[in-house]
Amino acid sequence: MSPFLAQIERDLMIAWQNRQDLGVMLIFFVIIIALFPLAIGANSAILDPLGIPVVWIAALLAILAGFDRLFAQDVRDGWLDQVSLSPLGLGWYALAKAISHWLTAGLPLLIMTPVMAIMLNIPTIQWPPLLIALLIGSMGLTLLGVIGAALAEGARRGGALMALLILPLAVPLLIFGTLASQSEDGIISPHLMLLGAVFAVLLALAPLVAASALEIGETETGL
Amino acid sequence: MDNQTQTRNAMTPTNTTGEDGLRIDQLSVLRGMALVISKLSFRQQAGEICCLTGPNGAGKSTLLRTIAGRLSAAEGTITCSVPLVYVGHTDGLSGAITGRENLVGWAKVNGLLAPESDIDTALAGFAANRFSDLPVRVLSRGQRRRLALARLALAPPNSLWLLDEPNAGLDRASNDSLDQLVTGHADRGGMVMAATHLDFAAAATPRSLHLAGIMPETSSASAQGKIG
Repeated sequence: MSPFLAQIERDLMIAWQNRQDLGVMLIFFVIIIALFPLAIGANSAILDPLGIPVVWIAALLAILAGFDRLFAQDVRDGWLDQVSLSPLGLGWYALAKAISHWLTAGLPLLIMTPVMAIMLNIPTIQWPPLLIALLIGSMGLTLLGVIGAALAEGARRGGALMALLILPLAVPLLIFGTLASQSEDGIISPHLMLLGAVFAVLLALAPLVAASALEIGETETGL
Repeated sequence: MDNQTQTRNAMTPTNTTGEDGLRIDQLSVLRGMALVISKLSFRQQAGEICCLTGPNGAGKSTLLRTIAGRLSAAEGTITCSVPLVYVGHTDGLSGAITGRENLVGWAKVNGLLAPESDIDTALAGFAANRFSDLPVRVLSRGQRRRLALARLALAPPNSLWLLDEPNAGLDRASNDSLDQLVTGHADRGGMVMAATHLDFAAAATPRSLHLAGIMPETSSASAQGKIG
């Protein structure tokens, strides 16, 4: 097995042992969605058009909320030292972290989405574009979260601030994602393509940015 | 500062000198604003064991982490053409999974072929079989250290081992196992550099590199790093 797959396997084993974290994230997702109708009131004329945006905002918050400690454990128990000396390298390591985190956070959220769509009375005809857009969007948000987590690890002081700086970068994903989800001319809309473009840029950049952030964090602060 | 330390990837070494060994030239390392290592030059050949000695704060851990590429040098070069294995103060074990899973994961991430029998042998070397199937978070400090050291038995024979206080928390039997492992590694042409306060690998008559530590007022002038 390649070192890359081995890193993913290791993260999945650890995630399985900490599986209550997944439950917390999913409950967070459901609660955000459930709070909107409670706050807005039972007026279906207002609520109906809000269904898809609410799913997106809840997904964005739930995914990004799980990121603050992504690298912290590996730094603390010294695994990052081992990885940096291995043939894997920090870039592939960051990508492996993104994939394992998406599998344990993004994917369960996506599976949960149809249930939420029923709850929000989103018409079934909107489900395919919503799910496709959320699939790409959640992967993009995961990559963004990896950047934020790596920056937070690098800058020991103001780690939370670094994570906040990442949030505005999620705006393009949110805009194109909601527009693509609401598209009425088929699943493959121009907005979905733009969403895919943002994802492609993140896929290329995130491992590099995260790797250099982890490298700087380690060498400058030196544990 | 013409010659910056090159960043190395341990398992895909850049062999610039064409020799199997470690070569440190005029190395200076800063921690914070303080100069911890000043103009250190050192050579280590295949098959040699080097014990780093010196008082606390003399730069033993700093030197090991700099060789491992985890700290950047302010000046000077480190050239090493063999794979590096680092066992530091942190064991690199995840508390959530078992010791065996940690060890197998480490071998795979390093691209080492480690059949089940090799893993068993590595664990048996430190009598770690009894607790290797428990989650690491329930283990004691010494047990964790034994799991971390079990990696050494899987390392490539020509590798350079960087050991930072390897016997911290070890019992006498594990200490003897470590001694055997280190001398065996050196006999097979490997290199070991260890920072330790204890008698270590006495049978192998290791060289020692004494780091005296740097007084702030003489920091620029003092040339340190006697080689005995």
